[in-house]
Amino acid sequence: MANARDLIHGNLSEVPAPMALSALNNRWGLATAVDFGSDLDVLNYALTLEYLEAAFYQQGNSANLLSGDEKRYLATIQKDEETHVAALTDTIKKLGGKPVAAPGVDFGTSFDNRDNYLKTSHTFENVGVGAYLGAAGFIKDKAILQAAAGIFGVEARHAALVGNLLDLPAEGGVYMGAFEKPVAKDKVLAQVAPFLTQMKGSWPTGGVNTGGGSTASSQGADNTGLLVGGAALVGAAGAAALMARRRASDGADS
Amino acid sequence: MTADRIFEGKPVLEFDTGSSRRKFLKMAGLVGVGATFVAGGAVLTAPTAMADAKMATGTKGDLDILNYALTLEYLEADYYAKGLAAGVLSGRELELITPISDHEKTHVSAVTDAVKAFGGTPVSKPKITYPAGAFDTRESFLKNAAMFEELGVKAYHGQVTLISSGDVLASAAAIAGVESRHAAILAQLTATNPFPAPVEGTLSMDQVLAEVKPLIS
Repeated sequence: MANARDLIHGNLSEVPAPMALSALNNRWGLATAVDFGSDLDVLNYALTLEYLEAAFYQQGNSANLLSGDEKRYLATIQKDEETHVAALTDTIKKLGGKPVAAPGVDFGTSFDNRDNYLKTSHTFENVGVGAYLGAAGFIKDKAILQAAAGIFGVEARHAALVGNLLDLPAEGGVYMGAFEKPVAKDKVLAQVAPFLTQMKGSWPTGGVNTGGGSTASSQGADNTGLLVGGAALVGAAGAAALMARRRASDGADS
Repeated sequence: MTADRIFEGKPVLEFDTGSSRRKFLKMAGLVGVGATFVAGGAVLTAPTAMADAKMATGTKGDLDILNYALTLEYLEADYYAKGLAAGVLSGRELELITPISDHEKTHVSAVTDAVKAFGGTPVSKPKITYPAGAFDTRESFLKNAAMFEELGVKAYHGQVTLISSGDVLASAAAIAGVESRHAAILAQLTATNPFPAPVEGTLSMDQVLAEVKPLIS
């Protein structure tokens, strides 16, 4: 990513983050300054964040910094994020929208060692928790709300567990108080901006691996999204069962 | 293996009055699957605003859901208070469980305030008794705590589409996320899976009651 140069504008990653973001946000679905105009806007916002997280764990887990339980936990987190990407993408398509492309990413020194990896993970997960809670109030479709809430809860699990792996203080590190706190979009974007770089071709790892080699057929069966069968309500339970099946199919490598 | 039943189905809950018990058991019937959802577009407010929620925005369905949540939070708060008092934990485990106990107490008072703010009457705290030996070992304490947390997470997520008020929804979500954190940590401490699915599962009030009913004496 460090050589992601544009001959006219130079290295975009050297542009102050807010400027870089405003230059790129049309492409990444981060355009509106304050608000979400539709469920699709929220979904594309969530998709951008999930793309970031999925790429983060793909790179981080490839760096072989972990072992034992930690390695297994982070492998599962990666699969969760990849599943979220796939589910959000399919849902956006089913609603007639256009999924945003995966952003270019540069995680800097995050993968230099275990501590850096887990600390950045902890930040991402807590930002994700706040982002979902901050956006939930804009969601109008209750099936989408159910699914978004279900993803939100899983991000909270990730955040707590990684906080504990880091041996952070229980309160303020593992838990963030008795209530989760919503984070507005502009604050979320400010936190993730340092990791976004100029888009350079396709998704860095050549596509989101949702595992099991069954992605294409699953999509053909129209059951990978947050919604199944058009507008029918699938609910988190059904989605969870589906996704658990998907995950079980590639559980052999964890 | 009966590990999927809290206390293996032994009695835990006992209500002060027959009326409280009936109220609890009737909850499922009071909240129909056809409840209208009108939260769309509502801007969620901070949880601290819960008690300030306008009474006019509350509905009968939301009140029933809040009292259902209150009963479950009472159970969790009591469970952790008694468990910590038993002194079977130490070190990092004690550090991790102590805030959970505080959270559940805070949830009880927040949900109580919310019921009042919406013009309802909070359910009274059930009498809760535990099987002998429940808190004799860290294993028993943590194992049942893990089950309570997973049940609580699914109970909250099962109400998401049934809640009418954006304020109630925001508060319930803010609590549910914390329960998810608890569930993950308890799973880790008990060597079970902290991430059982990529999306939280749901249980309807009926299903949660089916789980809890055998525990009510």
